[in-house]
Amino acid sequence: MLQPINVSLESLNLITLAPMLVAIAGGLIILILDLINEKLHKSLYVMLTILVLVIDFGATLGLNVNERGFFDVMLIDGISIVSQLLIIVASIIFTPLALTSKRFHEYSYPEFFALFLFMVAGFQFMVASDNLILIFVGLETASLSLYTLIALHNRSNSYEAAVKYFTMGALAAGFFAMGSAVIYALTGSVELYRVADVLAARMDETGLMIAIFGSSVLLLVAFAFKLSLFPFHTWAPDVYEGASAPLAGYMSVVPKVAAFVVSIRIFGMYIDLGVEWVRVVILVLAVLTMTLANLMALVQEDVKRMLAYSSISHAGFIIAALALDTTEGTTAIFFYYALFMFTNLGAFTMLWISRHKVRRFDARFDHPYEKFAGFIKIMPVGAVIMAIFMLSLAGVPPFSVFWGKIYVMQAAVNSGYVWLAIVMGLNSAIAAYYYLKLIVYMFLKDPVKDVDTVYYNLSKPLMAVIGMATIATIAAIFYVQPLVSYIYYMISASGY
Amino acid sequence: MENILSILVFFPAIAGLLGFVVDKDSARAYGITVAAIEFLLSIWLWFSFDTANAGMQFVELIPLIPDFGISYYLGVDGISLFIIIMATLMTLIGMMSMSITENIKNMIITLLFLEMTMVGVFVALDAIIFYLFWELSLVPMLYIIGAWGGPLRVYAAVKFFLYTFMGSLIMLVGMLFVAYVYHNLTGVWSFAITDWYALVLPVNYQLWLFAAFFLGFAIKVPMFPFHTWLPYAHGQAPTIGSVILAAVLLKMGTYGFVRFSLPMFPDASVLAITPIAAISIVMIIYTAMVAYAQKDMKQVIAYSSVSHMGIIMIGIFAMNAEGISGSVFQMLSHGIVSGALFMLVGVIYDRRHTKLMSEFGGLASVMPKYAVIFGIMLMSSVGLPLTIGFVGEFLVLIGFYEVSPVMTVLAGTSIIIGAIYMLSVYKQSFFGPVTNEANKSLKDLDRKETWSLVPLVLIVVWLGVYPKPVLAPIDNSVKAMLSFMNEKAITQEAKDMIKVSKTTLNRGEVK
Repeated sequence: MLQPINVSLESLNLITLAPMLVAIAGGLIILILDLINEKLHKSLYVMLTILVLVIDFGATLGLNVNERGFFDVMLIDGISIVSQLLIIVASIIFTPLALTSKRFHEYSYPEFFALFLFMVAGFQFMVASDNLILIFVGLETASLSLYTLIALHNRSNSYEAAVKYFTMGALAAGFFAMGSAVIYALTGSVELYRVADVLAARMDETGLMIAIFGSSVLLLVAFAFKLSLFPFHTWAPDVYEGASAPLAGYMSVVPKVAAFVVSIRIFGMYIDLGVEWVRVVILVLAVLTMTLANLMALVQEDVKRMLAYSSISHAGFIIAALALDTTEGTTAIFFYYALFMFTNLGAFTMLWISRHKVRRFDARFDHPYEKFAGFIKIMPVGAVIMAIFMLSLAGVPPFSVFWGKIYVMQAAVNSGYVWLAIVMGLNSAIAAYYYLKLIVYMFLKDPVKDVDTVYYNLSKPLMAVIGMATIATIAAIFYVQPLVSYIYYMISASGY
Repeated sequence: MENILSILVFFPAIAGLLGFVVDKDSARAYGITVAAIEFLLSIWLWFSFDTANAGMQFVELIPLIPDFGISYYLGVDGISLFIIIMATLMTLIGMMSMSITENIKNMIITLLFLEMTMVGVFVALDAIIFYLFWELSLVPMLYIIGAWGGPLRVYAAVKFFLYTFMGSLIMLVGMLFVAYVYHNLTGVWSFAITDWYALVLPVNYQLWLFAAFFLGFAIKVPMFPFHTWLPYAHGQAPTIGSVILAAVLLKMGTYGFVRFSLPMFPDASVLAITPIAAISIVMIIYTAMVAYAQKDMKQVIAYSSVSHMGIIMIGIFAMNAEGISGSVFQMLSHGIVSGALFMLVGVIYDRRHTKLMSEFGGLASVMPKYAVIFGIMLMSSVGLPLTIGFVGEFLVLIGFYEVSPVMTVLAGTSIIIGAIYMLSVYKQSFFGPVTNEANKSLKDLDRKETWSLVPLVLIVVWLGVYPKPVLAPIDNSVKAMLSFMNEKAITQEAKDMIKVSKTTLNRGEVK
């Protein structure tokens, strides 16, 4: 006979849901506003979105570490708070990029902003749970919104990008579902902490190892797609190229942070259980990804594609930290992305301000290197700032990404992987070439043509965003200490 | 003043930022003024420097990122003091003699930023801060070569950047590893060089780390076979770029050996004496021969630069006070002399827009002042007694004689080959009848050029005759370093090789 279920509100601990609810409510408010009055300007929606995200940020900061809620599917540990904060900050700084001086189609739809907020909520769900089903739901909510956002850009190659991303995403989702199903079949649970207990108790069964092998291969493939690791990265450059620059920049940070959190939860568990080959596979993927993506970036003719390959390479750099499975390594992941975010944001914004509706320089590419030739003569401050972003990405001190790089390399050295640190060093040297190529074009070549149209899209809000990114990139040395100790504290508090 | 070093480092950078608003026509005067103030500051540093103290002075220590063990840590000792003065002097003189008119404002600002990184490298006592300035120095130099250089400038600039960048990344891994070892032994993170000095590393660790640091420094020096970027960089760089590159940037490499490799890895350094000496001798003889084969005057000086850097390397690895002090002194003398020679080639290039020796001949009769100054610098470069070039070279050879007489003789051939190619340059360009019409009406040195070259001539002669005021503080710090290396060395072999001078306590005495 069925028993009535008694649920007390305290045991639900609804506060753990607050951040996501804020984002979802914000999205709904925007839709309702549009129902009431159709003629509102995009600037209103931009500001509303930022406002909602700021409240979201506050709600996330207010969470207590290591709590569970809502039938224990929500997990608010250090990782989930840190990653939610990262996701929200990245979203806040990418939103004003809609305020360009020229009209871009997608930003005139209020649905864009509503979808954007739903996507943020999806990513937040994804990182704030260790329940495979909720992770899946969050992942798909976010991804479906993101596909639509890309397609809204309304150009033929945006559709191509969206479809490509969707197909690959669907494939990854399939792998994820299969992997989860195997885990469920093995352990009778989809909650990772229970899964870990069951697996730990049965580690010595030979048959089980084969099943673990199966599940982890499926999950690895799924996340390799999401993190664009070699050889599952082929979609990334095309998608970045098709998406608008702000979304491309956003995609190089936020979905990856979310995917990293889930990877830490799943693969960290495997490595902790002593499934050593998972570590080996991740290391191999990391080395291949950073090296091959770097080599591919060398031959690109378009700056945006170059940045796409470079962010693949950065993801490879970072996934190596996951394989270390130390508190430092895990801290490194978030620390690196926190620094990388601002620099990459700046670089993509610089592309965004130079974006034309028609391709003026090249039939195939929006941002060929030639476009930036002689930038120093056309727009001296812009050229210097862009050069700073490039140097930062290349890992030249004292710019922000350098500190991330040495933290990762130090974490590798500390775990006894000196060879890994050397590989990382050599890769940074290769990477320096293609970042330098842009600097060479900007500073050492003469302008090609159409010199007056390079900063076509510039507006005050964009200048503010670039200014902020520049300050964050240059002054990193002053905030590295508080940032790293906060992240380290949060990560170690949640036991990773 | 407590924070004179910070002022020295950041004054040019702040002035550089302010330089953006200075008018184009006054940019040059602005740059020279700033560089002059910076030079006077460095002279003041010398006067406030306590020569009796062999340790670090004017130390500034502010924890920056305690979790990483990185701090803002500056200091100078006798070894770095004069290199800093030489760097500020050469920046000033280079700027005074500069003939560039195109984009002059950008050039001045770039040079001021470059000056910050140069001074920063020589005062940094924290490995990461050192690395920071070290890497940052590549950027202005990339711009100088790439924007004002010759026809192949972009290739040369990128080659210069990538080559040195790659070497220093390996060095960075080495630094991270030292910090890791330090953390394992003490439980604290630290990148402070003085903390690292206290670390006694097992010999196999030392060897690996020595190799990692070697790659970073050797490319900068540049040691054979890593020297291939240098002829390109010099060949394409504008005069001011070559002057700064030869005078200061190359010294970063040799300074790195003295500051990092020797005191941190004494045993590995002793083991490396023979291979490094062998490479250096190849460097000395081979590049000197290559220099002789050059048709372009600037390339002769570029290759002779490499050759002389070989002498400096040999002196560093002599492991005794004479050798190392001589090397540090030679760094200064090479800085001044090769800088002056590049400026002199620049003078003739400005007039004729060619550097080929075959284009000249009989210049001595057309440009007597120029010929005299060129001659003095050339003699000093060759190592003529009573010039600055002699002191360092002589001490280095004396020092290395204790290690290996045979190798010293081989290294000493540099003086002979040097004399051959330098005198052949002089003969082809300055003596004989004026054959080329274009040379008949060349102007002699103008006021600007005279004002920038004469002080260098005076220094060359002054320090050649009376090197003590400079040599004594250097020697003092070097001896302190040697005795400390000797205490730290693990193997008996290393202890035997590292010669602690008996005059350690007898300050200021130079043999």
